[in-house]
Amino acid sequence: MNLYVAALGFGLISVSVISIAAVGFTMQFGITNMINLAYGEVMMVSGYAAFYANQAGVNIWVALIPGALVGAVLSFLLNRFLYAPFQRKGTNLIGMVIISLAASLMIANVMLPIVGYYTSSYVVDQGPLLRSNGLVLTTAQIAIIAVAVILMLGVHGLLRYTRLGKAMRATAANPTLARNCGIPTQRVIDVVWLITGALCGVAGVVAGMNSENFSVASGAGYLITIIAAAVLGGAGQPYGAMIGALIIGIVTELSAAAIAPEYKEVVAFAILVLVMVLRPQGLLAKRGALAAAG
Amino acid sequence: MIGAALILVACGGSSTTGAGLGSGPLLVGVLAPFSGADASFGPRYLAGCYAASLSINGAGGIGGRQVSCQQFDTRGEPADAVPAANAMISGNSNLMGVVGCTSDEASTVVPILDRSHVPMFCMTGQSEFNKTNFKYFHRLVPPDSFDAYAMIGSALYGPNHPPYKNVALVFGDDIGSQTFVGPAVAALKKLGVNIAINQAIHLGAASYRTEVASMLQTHPDVILTETIGSAGTYMKEVKQQNGGKVIPFIGTSATIDPVWFKQVVDAIGLQDFLANYTAVDLKLSLQGAGYDEFVTELTAADSKFPSSNATTYKGKSPTVHLYDGIIMTALAMVAANSSDPTVYNPKIIEIANGVSGATVVSTFKDGVAALKAGKSIRYVGAAGENNFNQWNNSQQGYNLVTMDKDGNEVVIGELTQSQTQQIIDAGGNA
Repeated sequence: MNLYVAALGFGLISVSVISIAAVGFTMQFGITNMINLAYGEVMMVSGYAAFYANQAGVNIWVALIPGALVGAVLSFLLNRFLYAPFQRKGTNLIGMVIISLAASLMIANVMLPIVGYYTSSYVVDQGPLLRSNGLVLTTAQIAIIAVAVILMLGVHGLLRYTRLGKAMRATAANPTLARNCGIPTQRVIDVVWLITGALCGVAGVVAGMNSENFSVASGAGYLITIIAAAVLGGAGQPYGAMIGALIIGIVTELSAAAIAPEYKEVVAFAILVLVMVLRPQGLLAKRGALAAAG
Repeated sequence: MIGAALILVACGGSSTTGAGLGSGPLLVGVLAPFSGADASFGPRYLAGCYAASLSINGAGGIGGRQVSCQQFDTRGEPADAVPAANAMISGNSNLMGVVGCTSDEASTVVPILDRSHVPMFCMTGQSEFNKTNFKYFHRLVPPDSFDAYAMIGSALYGPNHPPYKNVALVFGDDIGSQTFVGPAVAALKKLGVNIAINQAIHLGAASYRTEVASMLQTHPDVILTETIGSAGTYMKEVKQQNGGKVIPFIGTSATIDPVWFKQVVDAIGLQDFLANYTAVDLKLSLQGAGYDEFVTELTAADSKFPSSNATTYKGKSPTVHLYDGIIMTALAMVAANSSDPTVYNPKIIEIANGVSGATVVSTFKDGVAALKAGKSIRYVGAAGENNFNQWNNSQQGYNLVTMDKDGNEVVIGELTQSQTQQIIDAGGNA
C-alpha cells in the first residue's frame, strides 16, 4: 500500500469533518461578529443527542437530523439569551470571547454528570473496506465525504443564489446600512445562528463517527482545529474555511506519513503561522467578513 | 489570605500541635484529573477514598473525628493542578492527607504538598520519585518504567502465545505515557527483540488512520500500548485497515479500567477484545479480611457514583492502594495521638512496614483496638503487605491479566521475580 496515497484519502475524511465545522464557525464570526468558543461544546451536545437517538435504535445517518436540530436550537438560544444581550451592552470582542469561554465551560460541566465520564460510540455500519490505487476507505467514510460536499454546495448556494444569502452578506458587510436598507438584520442573525448551529450539530455527529469514540472533553480538541482552519482561510470567510480545512486535513495526514505522527499537528500549525506572517488576513479574506474571495 | 492559610497548614494544619487528635471533621483531598483526557482517573481514586472514609467513620472515626472526601480537579494539566492544590490547601485546614497526584501533575503538586506538610499517596509512575527526598510523599505502586518491563515480560513469557519477537510501541505523547517508552526501548534492544515501530501518538486526535497504516506496514506480532482516551479510535482503525483482524495488544496497568474497557470494546467488539487484550497489573492479594472490608465499604459507597458503579473498582489497584493509604494515614494519626502531620507522618511507614513483634491488622477498627491495647501494629490491608524503602516507595510485583466480558480483571499469570529482574536489568533499572 502506498502510504502517502492512503494518507491523502484519510486526509479527505478529516477535511470533510473540519470543513463542516469550520464553515459554521466562521459564518458565526463573519456575520454576527462573535468568536464562539462554545462551538466545540455545542458540537458535543449535538453529538450526544444523536447518540441517544442512535441508542434508541435510530440509524446514525437519520440521527444526523436530531443532532443538527439540537445544534441549531442550542446555538440560537446561546445567542439570544447570552451573547446578544452582552453585545447590545457594547461588550467588546475580547469580552465576548471570555463570555463564550465561560459558556463553553458551563456546557461541558453540565454535560459531565449527565453523560458521564465514559466515552461513547455510535452504532455505525462502516460497510465494506474499499481499496483503490492505494486509497483505503470504508463506505461510511465515503458517505461522510459526500455529506460534507453536499453541505458545502448548500452553503455556496445559500450565500450566492438566495435572498437570505444576500441579506447575510449585507449584514456581515455593514449591519447598520443593511438595516437602513430594510433588511431585518435581527431576523437574519437569528437564522444565521440556526443554520450555523445546524452545521455545528452535523459536525458533532460526523466527528463522533470519524473518531469512533467521543466524550465531553472531545469538544475542546475539535475547536482548536476548527479555529485553525477558519483563521487560515480568513476569519469570517466560508470559502476560506473550506480551503483552510483542506490544507489542515491533508497536511496533518501527509506529515504523519512523512515525519513522525507526534509532529503532524506541528506541521499543520506551522503552515498556519507562516500564512499569518505572509498574509495576516488569511488566504481568502479581503476587507470585511464574507467579502468576495480574493 | 492564601499565604496566611499556607503558613497555618505548614505549621501543623489543624489546631493541634502534636498532642491529641482534636475535634471536627477531617478531609481527604482527591487531587486528580476529573476532566480532560485522563478524566477516568479521578473517580477510581474517589471510590477508594469513599470506601476508606466509610471504614474509618464506621469504626468511630479518628478519635471521634469523621472523615470525608473531596475531589479537586487537576484536569490532568500541571497548569490547572497548581491552583487546584493551592486552593485545596488554603481552603481546608482539616486536610489529613491527599490521594491521587498522577503522573500528569505530580511533578508540580508534590513539592507544594510536601512544603505544606500534607501526607500524600500518589499514583504517579514517574521515575523522578524513585529516590525522592519528599518526606510526605508515599507511593504504593512501582514507577511506570517497571510497567514497561512487565509488559515486555508479558510479551516474552506470557501464557497462551509464543514469545513475541516483533513489537510495536504505541504510546500517547503525554508525559505519563511517554514514561514507558525509554525503558521499554532499552530493554527490548538489550533482549534482542525487534522494535517494529515506536509511535508517539497525539492523544485526543480525531483519527489515527495514517499512523495505523504506518504501523501495519511493519507487521508487528504485538502492540505494547497506553493511549488513554484514544485507544478505541486507534484500535478500531487497526481492525478496519487490517482486514477486520485485531493485533494482540498489551496494555499498562492504567488500561485496566472500566472507562477504557468500554471505549475499546465499543470500538472493536467484545470478542476481538477478549481474544487480543492482555495487561500487566500490580500483584495484589485481593483476599483476606482487609480486602473483604474494602469491598463491603466500596459497595456501601455505590450510591455516591450516580453515573457509574463504584463496585467496578473493587479489583482496581489504584482504588485498593489508595484505600490502604488512607487507612494507614488514619492509623498513624491514632498511633501518634496527633492530628499534626509532622508528628503522624513518620508513623505511616512504621505502621505499613511494621516493627519487630508488631501485631498484624487488616482493618482500621482492628488497628485502633490493637493500638488502644498498647500494641505496635503492622497494617496488611486490602492490597496485601507493604514494603516501603528509604525513599517511601513500596512494591509488590506483577500479575499478567485480562478482563472478562463485564470488564472485571482476571489474572492469567504472573511474572516471577527472576523474569522481572532480568528485564529490569536489561532496561537499566530506569
